Amino acid sequence: MKTTTFLVSTVLVFLGLNVSAATTIHWWQFWTDPNIKPTISAVVAEFEKANPDIEVKLTDLTWANGHEKIVISFASGTGPDVVELGSDWIAQFAANGHLVDISDEIAPDSGEFQGWGMATYQDKVYAKPWILGTRVLFANRDLLTRAGYNSDWVPIKTFELQMAARKINALGENVYGWGSNTAEKHRLYKKYLPFFWSYGAQIFTDDSKYCILSSEKAINALRLYKELHDSCGYVSNQRGIEDAFLDGKIGFIISGDWLLKRIELENRQINLVSTLIPGLNFPGKSFLGGEFLAVNEASRHKEAAMKLIDFITSPENQILFCKANRSANPSSIAAQSDPYFTSNDHLQTFIKQIRSANHPPVDPDWVYMEDAIERAVEDALFGSGLVAEPLRQARLKIDELKKK
Amino acid sequence: MKPSRSTALALVLPWLLTLAVFWLFPLVISFVMGFTDFRLLVKDYQWVGLANYRALFSDQDFIKALKNTFIFVLGTIPVTTVLSLSMALLVSRRFKGRGVFRAAYFLPSITSMVVIALIFTNLYQRGGYVVLLAKLVGLTPPENGLLYDSSTALFSIMAMDVWMSVGYYMLIFLAGLKSIPEELYEAAEIHGAGAVRRLFSITLPLLKPVALFILVINSIKSFQVFVEIFVMTKGKFDTSTAVYFVYETGLTTGFKSGYASAAAYVLFVIIALFSAMWFLLLRRRQALW
Repeated sequence: MKTTTFLVSTVLVFLGLNVSAATTIHWWQFWTDPNIKPTISAVVAEFEKANPDIEVKLTDLTWANGHEKIVISFASGTGPDVVELGSDWIAQFAANGHLVDISDEIAPDSGEFQGWGMATYQDKVYAKPWILGTRVLFANRDLLTRAGYNSDWVPIKTFELQMAARKINALGENVYGWGSNTAEKHRLYKKYLPFFWSYGAQIFTDDSKYCILSSEKAINALRLYKELHDSCGYVSNQRGIEDAFLDGKIGFIISGDWLLKRIELENRQINLVSTLIPGLNFPGKSFLGGEFLAVNEASRHKEAAMKLIDFITSPENQILFCKANRSANPSSIAAQSDPYFTSNDHLQTFIKQIRSANHPPVDPDWVYMEDAIERAVEDALFGSGLVAEPLRQARLKIDELKKK
Repeated sequence: MKPSRSTALALVLPWLLTLAVFWLFPLVISFVMGFTDFRLLVKDYQWVGLANYRALFSDQDFIKALKNTFIFVLGTIPVTTVLSLSMALLVSRRFKGRGVFRAAYFLPSITSMVVIALIFTNLYQRGGYVVLLAKLVGLTPPENGLLYDSSTALFSIMAMDVWMSVGYYMLIFLAGLKSIPEELYEAAEIHGAGAVRRLFSITLPLLKPVALFILVINSIKSFQVFVEIFVMTKGKFDTSTAVYFVYETGLTTGFKSGYASAAAYVLFVIIALFSAMWFLLLRRRQALW
């Protein structure tokens, strides 16, 4: 009798386990900030409530080594079902068959989101845009006033930015016109490209066959950037520039929505202006990137994974997330019309800038191309001082990559 | 009771397994990988023979990284060795507060390299204390800070490395000094040898094995310099070193594991040759100094 009871209980326990653990999907994501993580967890809990047959296991990644972890896990076949990817990484994973082609899945709602271009490789879509990221021009209104500008003036054209930066730079010994990035990997080129695009330059010809990085327009854009750097630049890393800007030492910097978050969280007192990037024609172009959600090709629960992605990227959840993160750029167009965004001028600047922003080419070799561009800018700013030759060298390198 | 052979084997087995799995296996695999075009995300790979090695020696980034590594090694080892020996000789004497000095000199060695690198990053930046101090003594440091200029970045990191390492090697020299029999000094004194003579005829020759140990481990450590570069400059401003090159090539830009493995093995051979050189140099010469 005892044996029978034991066997029956064991079978029941296993049956119970089977019922409770229907489908478990793993999601790797980067938002570990204590201000944001609870929102992520709450959204996941909501998802599990709405889908009792799916359990989500969250794994946090850090920006310091998250990319390496993802690559190693995909290479070893142990990657998660759903993964958050930076826009620059998608082509690399897609080209090597690690991501599910979701072109058919997203067709009905593709018009409701921005940023598809960054997730499209060889006409197939491999990830869904979640949170976009761009950069705008921030200015210190007090310094502008001291330099003789009216209270509503902002630079529209690049030469106006140049003039204003110089005037601010002349205000005193510890005041600088322009926040200029040092040779920081993955950052410096993102500061040059807005001017590059705003001058009408392109990395490739329209048919993407040839690199035209060292065109006259590109050279002029780098000349302008170098002139700002040399004549009135406060040179530091991104954090250092932002610190100095918030301390009232810099007139203009290019930065992202994280600066707004810093100002709010650190209760910084600064007479802040945010405006679209100036160009030869207004508005100039900015750099577009973002966070995307993708499904691992090796996942055994692709349907559940896609369900989670749709839930996370729904307009309501994007608004929740953006509020927690103080993000300015939900990929959902419906989310962008929420009062949280429409009532805030700075957030509106970001939303407008996204409409005038370019993303880098979606190419699995972009990491090398990016490196070549970054080195050219570094060389122009910190090395030889020449402008055309480093761009020519970068073009040759990129052409060589293209040939391969 | 003498343990049986099988008991002894069972006791060392966990260590042997760990060694085989986490050391020997990666060592062999990475050696083989060095002859392939293996990339982490790419499923197919080809045997390329010595192509990676040939490509390395025409890769300007690798050559520059090797050059920087040699500058680092040749610049830090003599300074660290001489300084740590001098400090060991100083604190081996009896004086009040000797323990405090020993502890203070050793303290950087037990502090996390990342923490030290972050502190020095602040000291070296625009407006940092080192920059201000340099200005005070009439020097003209780069306006943007020492780490943002190719002429000063690597040397600034080397200076930090020396500061961090001397205490550790001082302690090893101290242990070596303690092992020298006191009666040798007494006999030398009776025969009229002065302090300088005692140093060159007794202390330094008898410290030779310790010096050899320090030179070998410091060479290996210096050739493998990475954390400082990773935290402070990310290889920018002419500070990329061989291990940083391996990291960047294999784990960040393009994930070229085969190519990175070949670079790692070039470094391995250089370290082995350098270590052998120290052994030969110190073994052949009768006196080191």
